Formats: sequence, C-alpha cells, structure tokens
Amino acid sequence: MSLKRIRLLIWKEFIQLRRDPLLIRLLLIMPVLQLILFGYVVAVDVRNLSTAVVDLDRTATSRSLESAFSGSGYFTITQQLASENDLRPLLDSGVVKVALVIPEGTQDRLARGEAAPIGIIVDGSDSQISAIGSGYASQIVAQFNTDRRDALGIQLAAPGIDARVRVMFNPTLDPINTMIPGLIAAIMMISLLAIMSQAVVKERESGTLEQMFVTPIKATEYLIGKLTPYAALATAQMLLVAAGGLFWFKVPFNGDFWVVFTGLFLFMFTCLGLGLLISLVSRTRHQAQQAVMFIMIPTMVLSGFIFPIQSMPAIIQPLTNLIPLTWALQVLRGAFVKGSGFEALAVPMLALVGFAVIIFGAAIVATRRRISE
Amino acid sequence: MASETVPEERPGAQRPSASRRAEETPAISVRCLTKTFGDFTAVDGIDLDVPRGEVFGFLGPNGSGKTTTIRMLTGTLRPNSGSALVLGEDVFGHPDRVQRRIGYMSQKFSLFEDMTVDENLKFYAGVYDLPPEEFAAQREYVLSMADLVGRENELTRNLSVGWRQRLALGAATIHEPELLFLDEPTSGVDPVARRQFWDLLYDLASRGVTLFVTTHYMDEAAHCNRLAFIYRGRIIAEGSPAEIRANHMEQRIFDITTSRADPALQWLETAPGIDEAYLSGASLHAVVPADSPLDDGRLRSRLVAAGFDDALVAEVDPTIEDVFVNLESRQR
Repeated sequence: MSLKRIRLLIWKEFIQLRRDPLLIRLLLIMPVLQLILFGYVVAVDVRNLSTAVVDLDRTATSRSLESAFSGSGYFTITQQLASENDLRPLLDSGVVKVALVIPEGTQDRLARGEAAPIGIIVDGSDSQISAIGSGYASQIVAQFNTDRRDALGIQLAAPGIDARVRVMFNPTLDPINTMIPGLIAAIMMISLLAIMSQAVVKERESGTLEQMFVTPIKATEYLIGKLTPYAALATAQMLLVAAGGLFWFKVPFNGDFWVVFTGLFLFMFTCLGLGLLISLVSRTRHQAQQAVMFIMIPTMVLSGFIFPIQSMPAIIQPLTNLIPLTWALQVLRGAFVKGSGFEALAVPMLALVGFAVIIFGAAIVATRRRISE
Repeated sequence: MASETVPEERPGAQRPSASRRAEETPAISVRCLTKTFGDFTAVDGIDLDVPRGEVFGFLGPNGSGKTTTIRMLTGTLRPNSGSALVLGEDVFGHPDRVQRRIGYMSQKFSLFEDMTVDENLKFYAGVYDLPPEEFAAQREYVLSMADLVGRENELTRNLSVGWRQRLALGAATIHEPELLFLDEPTSGVDPVARRQFWDLLYDLASRGVTLFVTTHYMDEAAHCNRLAFIYRGRIIAEGSPAEIRANHMEQRIFDITTSRADPALQWLETAPGIDEAYLSGASLHAVVPADSPLDDGRLRSRLVAAGFDDALVAEVDPTIEDVFVNLESRQR
C-alpha cells in the first residue's frame, strides 16, 4: 500500500465531490429537512381531542375533574350529554374521539373513602389516538387523585377515582423521544446508501475504474481513497442531523455524548460499507439504485423503526437481528432516552462492529473479483 | 524498479524517448491462453507473439474475445489456463511488475469528466509516481500533442471527442510505457480525427513503444506491421498484412460499382461461378475461385445482361477486409 497513492485518490475524490452540484444538497441539506418533516409526522402529538362528558354526578368533584381534563390541553370538551345513550352516535360518527363518563354518586363514594369508578371511552379506530389518548386520561386522573389527597391530607393508600384505562408503556407519553433517535439513524442510512451506492458504479460506467486497475493502484488503496472523503462528509452529516434532532425537537438528552457518537459512528460505517458493496457489485447506476430500495424496505419494516419488534410473529423476530438498523436503534434509543452506557449497550455495539467488519471484508473481496469482470 | 531509468532530456515539446529496451525480450508472449465465463469460452487457447517495437493489430468482430485478451494481458483478469509473459514478466503472477511499464487506453477514453485537463494529467502522473520535473516535461508534451495548450483548466467533459481521445492517449502514456494497449481507441471518432490519431500512434511506435491495438475497422489493419485475427475466441490468421493476403486468399476479387447496388448484390449472391458477394465501402466485391474464367469484361457483360447497364467492373487485389470476410465465412 502506498500512502502517496491513497492521498492522490482522496484528492481526486474531493475534487469530484466538490464539482457535484447535488451532493451537498443530498448529503447535508436534505437529511436535515427530512428530519424536521418526518419528525413532525412520526411525532404526532395528540392534542385537542374532541371530548364528550356525561356528568351524572353533577357535583363539585365532577366539575373539577372535567376542568382537569379540559385544562390539560389534550382534551377539548365539545359536548355535555345528559345520558350515556347519546354517546354512541357521536363516537360512531367521529364527532368526539373520547368520552368521559362520571357516574352518579362519585363524590359521595369518594367522601366515604371508597373507590369511585369512572369510565373513559376512547375511539379505538385510530390506535395512535386510543393509546395516547387513554394514556393522557389516566395520567390526568392520577394527578387529580394526588392533588385531592394532598388537599385533604388523606393517607396515601386511600382509594380515589378509579379510571378504567391503563398505560402499558411510554410513560412520558411523548413519542418524539423514541422516534427522533431512530429517525436520525434511518435518515443517515437512506442518504448514505443513496450516495455511496453510486460512488463506484459511476466510475465503472465511465471506464475510469477499468483504467485505474491497469495502473499500479491496488484494490485496498482504491477503497480507502474512495471511502475517506465520504466518511468525512458523512461525519459532518451525522453531527448536523443529530444536532437538528436535539435542538429542533428538544429531545431530552440523557445520554453520554461519546456513547451516542460511537453508536452513530459505527452505524455510519456500516451504511457506507453497505453502499460501497452495492456499488461494487452493480453493473449500472440504475441497478445500484434498485439494490438500495431492495435493502431499505425490509430495513424500515423489520428494524423496529416503525413497528415494535415485540409485536412481530416469533418466526420473524430472529430475522430482525440481521438488520444493522435494529442494533443502531437499540444503541440510540438506549443512549438518548435511558442514558445507557457502553456496558449496557455492548451487545448492539459489537453487533455493529461485526456488520462493519463483514461488510468491508466483502467489499475488498468484491473489488478484487469484480473489477476484472 | 531497476529497469526504470531516467529518460534523457530533450528540448521543447518533444517527448523523451523510451530508452529502456535493454533486454530484448518479446513484448508479449502468450501460450494456450483460455478464459471462460460460465459455459461461454471467450478466449480459446490462443498463442501470440509480439516482438518489441511493433504495431500489432488484434482484429475481430465484436464479442470475439479481443477485450478479454487485453484484460488478461494487462493483469486485471485471470485466465482459466495458459501463460502470458508481458515485457518478460509473468503478468498473472506479478501484475504489479508489469503494470508500471504498460499503458492502456480503452474506447471509453477513461478520463475523469468532472476534472480538468490538468487535473487528469496530474492524477495519472501521481499514480505512476512521476517526479515533478518529469511531469512538467510530459505535461507540456501532452498538451501540445493533444492541441490543448491554453485549455488546461477546462473540464474534460466539455472537450469534443477528438481532443478527449488525444488527451486520453496522453494520460495513458504519461509514464512512458514500453507497451501500450489500445482497445478500439478510434471507435466513435470521425475519419479525420482517426487519421490524426494514427499519426500519433506512429509517432509513439517510431520511438520504440510497442503498440497492441484492437479494432474492428478493417482499413486500420493496414496501419499495422503485424495482424492477428481472432474469431470466436480463436486466432484464425496471423502475420504481416502482405502475408495474410498471400496466405489466406487464393480467390480473386472483382470490384463492382453500380447505381443499383442492392439488387446487384442480390443477383451476385446467387449468380453461378461467384463464391461470395458483399458490400465494401461504396462498391460491391465479388469473390470468384482462383481458376475462374471470369475477367472484367465477361463479368460486366453478365451484369449488363442481368439489367445493370451502368455496372463498372475491375479486378482488384484483395484488401485485408476481403481476407477477413473470406476467413470468417470459411469458419462458419
């Protein structure tokens, strides 16, 4: 290997990248715009849900419970109904998404120190709304109970209002905190694959690849010379997109900077390697683009980025381990949200290292073999 | 490498000559070279000998194995069997020993189109690790040879095809190779530029560079000292143009011009006493057996009788093209 030739190849690559008018846009501007756009889409916060109230109790307690709901910002009380029977048509037609039913005698039960059940009915046709809406509702009720106990100075064990909804996960109820770290990784993968997959096949089409391998340039020199400029640009992209996620969406960053950086960096190399490999084995640019699509679709569906892996059929679940993004998500979500460190994330980190090693090994083999065919 | 001595200085735009032909091993010596892709045998046990300083024409129709052979000889493709010595080195065992001393130019010209003329030259000079003084001399030579003085900072994608071709030749020879492979270097280039390009190749040859040129333009075959004709992976004729004409062409050729070439060709193809007929340039060529009683007058009167009143007939010496059409039809 000759450092001089590697430097020469890097110099050449930078000149070409500088003259590519689309590159900066594709590599730096587009991912940030995508992050902001997709960030809002994946992070739909459920607000101002139209809510009907059936207040059969008509007491101070029931009214303060209603105002706790309307004051939260998540629920807007649009209907006051006299009977539960009026609810059904409103829910059916989608006029209201949530209904709050306060039975007669709620205040009396509470006064007697009994549990007072109330009903919260959620429009189940939109799973997002039902999950998040019911979550908010139970939080409001819990807060209401706490406030009431505090005000009356009652002991903790005393029963309060018993809302018949429960939150199973995501207690902060903010989907943005788990989606943004995943989105950062997904966007990086899309843009790096798109760009890197063209890098070699472009030279194959123009004949310069063939030309270079008649010269003393070695396969590894070529690969290093090709990869270095792209890795530099990809690092800039990574920092930019991660900063965008943190500052624009104000995702609380509980983690260690170096854990997140290492995770993203390893994942970046996996993406660059994958793109390089596609580029090496493709004969035309078009073929390379199709290969990227072929990889991206299962990645999005199976990595847990959109659908939770736990909800996939048992036979499918092991497959998700073959997808680099699966591990990147574990690292990023763990580090961003839970503040996990290197020890806790050793398995996914090592998995990413493994992917990088396998992919680059394959790239070297592919260069040696495919250049000549 | 020991064989790479510093070339002697020459003034002006003249290129320093390749002065390293001390050991007079043949430029190329190939034995039983075979390459298969799956079931397809691209190169089928060929033997080749190219002495130093020759302009060697490697001819054949598209897909006959020309490019595959070049790729093996330049060390980018491994054969299934056979051996090849290039400049005395085993190219499959030590491609790196060979690659520094050879040049290669493909029909795609292989310039970086998003880089300038100067940047392309600088890149290839760097690849071969040319010292700065030598690069300066070579750059000056290439720019004047390619007629690109004053256009050093233009992107090569903006150059028209003749300039690109000459620049590609300059880039491929910037390290003064002893042996230059040219894979259909003139395809897609207009006749004037082709002629100029061959002048440049002669210039290289006159300074002792061995040229290995593939082409499917048969008129270019006449530019070569020696020819080999490859067909379906096999070499079916080899020698100087004169030898090939003498050894592979027993038949006689008539050149026929008429305003109604198409029907005349159809008539000739079925006429008794004529082995073969085909278009050659603007006229028709009819091949007859060596002992045929036909001469210019007799053939003309038969053509006139068949309704081709304006037909002009002249017996001609076979061109290389005639020989190869003939060889090809015999192979089928």
